[in-house]
Amino acid sequence: MSEQTVDTVAAGTGDAPAVTDKAFIHQSGKFLTFFFDDEEYAIEILKVQEIIGIMPITTVPRTPEYILGVINLRGKVIPVIDLRTKFGMASVEWTDETCIIVMQIDETLMGIVVDKVSEVLDIASGDIEDTPSFGSEVNTDYIMGIGKAEGKVRLLLDIDKVLSVKEIADVGLFGANSETS
Amino acid sequence: MQEDGNKQSEALQTEACGIALNEVASLMVTLDHYDYEGLAKVQEALLALPPGTPPLVREKVTRMAAKLGIFLADGGDGEQVMDEVGELLESAMLDFEEVQAREAAEKAGETAAGETEQEPEITIEMDSGPEPEPEEAAPPAPPVAETADTEGERAASPAEPVAAGDYPTEFHIPEDSDEELLGEYITESRECIEDSEGALLELEEDPEDTEAVNRVFRAFHTIKGTSAFLGLDVIAELAHKAETILSRVRDGEIQFGQRYASLSLRSVDMLKALFDELEEGLNSGEPMPVPEEYGELLDELKNPEVEVATASPPPAAQTPTPAPPEAKPEVSAPPADAPTPVAKAPEPVVSKPAPAKKPAATPAAPNGGAKAKKRKGVDSTVRVRTDRLDRLIDMVGELVIAHSIVAQDETVSDGNQHMLSKKVSHTGKIVRELQDLSMSMRMVPLKGTFQKMARLVRDLAVKSGKEVHFTGEGDDTEIDRNMVDLINDPLVHMIRNAVDHGIEPSDDRVSAGKNGVGQVKLMAYHAGGNVIVELSDDGRGLSREKLAEKGVSKGLIESDKGMSDQEVFNLIFEAGFSTAAQVTDISGRGVGMDVVRRNIEALRGRVDISSQFGSGSTFSIRLPLTMAITDGMLIRVGTERFIVPTLNIKMSLRPEQEALSTIAQKGEMLMLMGELIPLYRLHKIFNIEGAVQNPTDGLVMVMDDGDRRFAILVDELLGKLQVVAKTLGEGVGKVPGISGGAILGDGRVGLILDPQGLSNVLRNGDCLQPEAAGAGSS
Repeated sequence: MSEQTVDTVAAGTGDAPAVTDKAFIHQSGKFLTFFFDDEEYAIEILKVQEIIGIMPITTVPRTPEYILGVINLRGKVIPVIDLRTKFGMASVEWTDETCIIVMQIDETLMGIVVDKVSEVLDIASGDIEDTPSFGSEVNTDYIMGIGKAEGKVRLLLDIDKVLSVKEIADVGLFGANSETS
Repeated sequence: MQEDGNKQSEALQTEACGIALNEVASLMVTLDHYDYEGLAKVQEALLALPPGTPPLVREKVTRMAAKLGIFLADGGDGEQVMDEVGELLESAMLDFEEVQAREAAEKAGETAAGETEQEPEITIEMDSGPEPEPEEAAPPAPPVAETADTEGERAASPAEPVAAGDYPTEFHIPEDSDEELLGEYITESRECIEDSEGALLELEEDPEDTEAVNRVFRAFHTIKGTSAFLGLDVIAELAHKAETILSRVRDGEIQFGQRYASLSLRSVDMLKALFDELEEGLNSGEPMPVPEEYGELLDELKNPEVEVATASPPPAAQTPTPAPPEAKPEVSAPPADAPTPVAKAPEPVVSKPAPAKKPAATPAAPNGGAKAKKRKGVDSTVRVRTDRLDRLIDMVGELVIAHSIVAQDETVSDGNQHMLSKKVSHTGKIVRELQDLSMSMRMVPLKGTFQKMARLVRDLAVKSGKEVHFTGEGDDTEIDRNMVDLINDPLVHMIRNAVDHGIEPSDDRVSAGKNGVGQVKLMAYHAGGNVIVELSDDGRGLSREKLAEKGVSKGLIESDKGMSDQEVFNLIFEAGFSTAAQVTDISGRGVGMDVVRRNIEALRGRVDISSQFGSGSTFSIRLPLTMAITDGMLIRVGTERFIVPTLNIKMSLRPEQEALSTIAQKGEMLMLMGELIPLYRLHKIFNIEGAVQNPTDGLVMVMDDGDRRFAILVDELLGKLQVVAKTLGEGVGKVPGISGGAILGDGRVGLILDPQGLSNVLRNGDCLQPEAAGAGSS
């Protein structure tokens, strides 16, 4: 990775087009991290509106399974997405640590259920790597990079993509894989 | 020559004073009453007015400065002070205008007497509007035309060169203007226009109604003032001209006849068009085109007598006026022999009346300004942004729910804490009152809508050559703000139909033994928690035979046998169904009534027809009071709860086994009073487990989606409630059969059923399981 970075920098010193390289799009900044099992994910903190405990969710019929339903967020009705289902992971029992992260995507509020919230940390752009390719085995479309600060690996979620209205209508990320397996 | 020099420098000084006044005024407009720094600046500017200030103005200015000084030093009611200063400022500016006009007139006289040196620009700018500055600031296309023609009038120059081409073809928003201010200005001006339109229609009925004249006058005057202020001269000029006519009516100089009415209404339309342009221009930033008819209208406004002289028998006093040179053929005017007699000698005729008339009109303006202050019977209002209001209502809704959670808490409700429960119930009362109040804030009277419709009837009647009389009743009925705009279109369609198809031509009416003048009546009232808007006409009514025939030929029905009148009438709401034999300019294209019904249903309302062939029809629209609140029944299916809008529920019953039958072992039917109604199981449609399986154990709700009836099986009815409907958010997208969500008493979200959507789903045979999306979870 570092090699590649050096290359592009050398090639396009101060030149705008060089920025199109994926490595440069990663904005360093504050991230909120959370867990699914033992995998740690991170999302940009600026997109997070608040974190709330799990609360009764009203299921909406005739919607994809990963839409858990809607909740009452102080008078606003907002949908809650189960990323585990969307990513094709096994469901787990909700615990005291399970919570809903309310995100604001293009003016719309949406909640995602996560196993537990971990911390807020800075990740410098130098610590962000491109997502390695696993071929067709694993779809990494929703991962915009891998942060490796403090010796730990965190998957940076491209939350806009995950929660984009269009995507919501489609089938989940790893859904296709698990279906075939 | 010495004297000349003095005059000139005097003129320059007065000009400086005008500019200073305008600066103060524009500063004031942008200030809030708590902006002490800004107010101090205003005071400074007032004190620094140049020496050329006319004494009358100076006196007012001093008073303003004093008021501000006291406020800045001692405090007090800022808003009141602002109001007072604003009023003073306005009247000072009017005085100033007047002084200017007088000076200008004097000067004009001198000029005519043979002076060589003159300052025409100044004179002109002064009287064309109170704000010369922005005019200069405005990018290209300065309003040359106005300059030219005002000059013509004022200086009484014989050749009066007015051609339509002289008017600007586009106008600009001055560069330094404040967008927010412009937005407010547009809203305010539109209100003025609306009000004046209503008053004009009243005036047509009763030309003696001086209060109506004043209302129109005030509206034009306000628009003129603010437009000039903002440097929108095109608008200011038109308003000015329109105002002049009204001021002459008010002064008893002329009679408000048909001709003036149309002219004023046309001015109103033109102003509307200009404001539409302006709004668009505000968004796009492009220069705005001036409608083509602008110049023409302005010319006519300037010489409104041309046609009038022919319309009414010319009294002796009016004889010299009839034929200014630019007498334009006017479309709607009677094509009588007006211009011919004097056309040969225009010069002497024009030069005489022009100066005589103008001064009479201009001084009238301050008068009107003073009157505008004491608006009688109008409650003072505060403009609030709708999104804030909506938010407030949301929050109050939340408060109600939060309160009911507290009230239902065991500590309170177990009866041991007597004092506590007393306090909680007291809070409850306040909360409910607060809710009612916040809801009422969204309510506005239907007055504006009624006015628009009155105007529409008038125009349509003129166009179709019929005589129609409009009556409105209950225009103070209040309805949710958001709905006002939405019922506009359906009403327009219906009124077009009523005037075009409903009301017969006078001759036919008379030979049918009716009054030659058709009646169209619009009524609004509250009934049973709904607003009813009724439109009735005494025209030819709907013919059951014709409708049925048409329905058969269009393939909508097989025959009208067994159909009630109501059902046959309802055919007109089908798409592509038009009863007019001939497509007219007004209506009859076959779109319309289906749109009407769709729009009204979108508002969760319904429309019913009753008609007596030969004597008229009545369309009655039933609307919920507000879109914000849905009356509903809470039902349970398995573990899930849903809200069903009360409007769509015909009845609920527990059926007997005998009333149930199946078709091909699949489709279920319910026999209800001789009618077979399809029965669907909600738990199957929504894939809910643990629900009642046997209809005789559950409850069957008969629903009506406006088109047809169907029944759904639910477990039980939990109660009646009012909810605030909300969307489920984009994240969920559109769910067939569900129109939205609402917060229930326990703080959870309940889903609102959408009978129309549900019916569509069912009709398309799609009562299958939801798609197996999101597969893969183990």
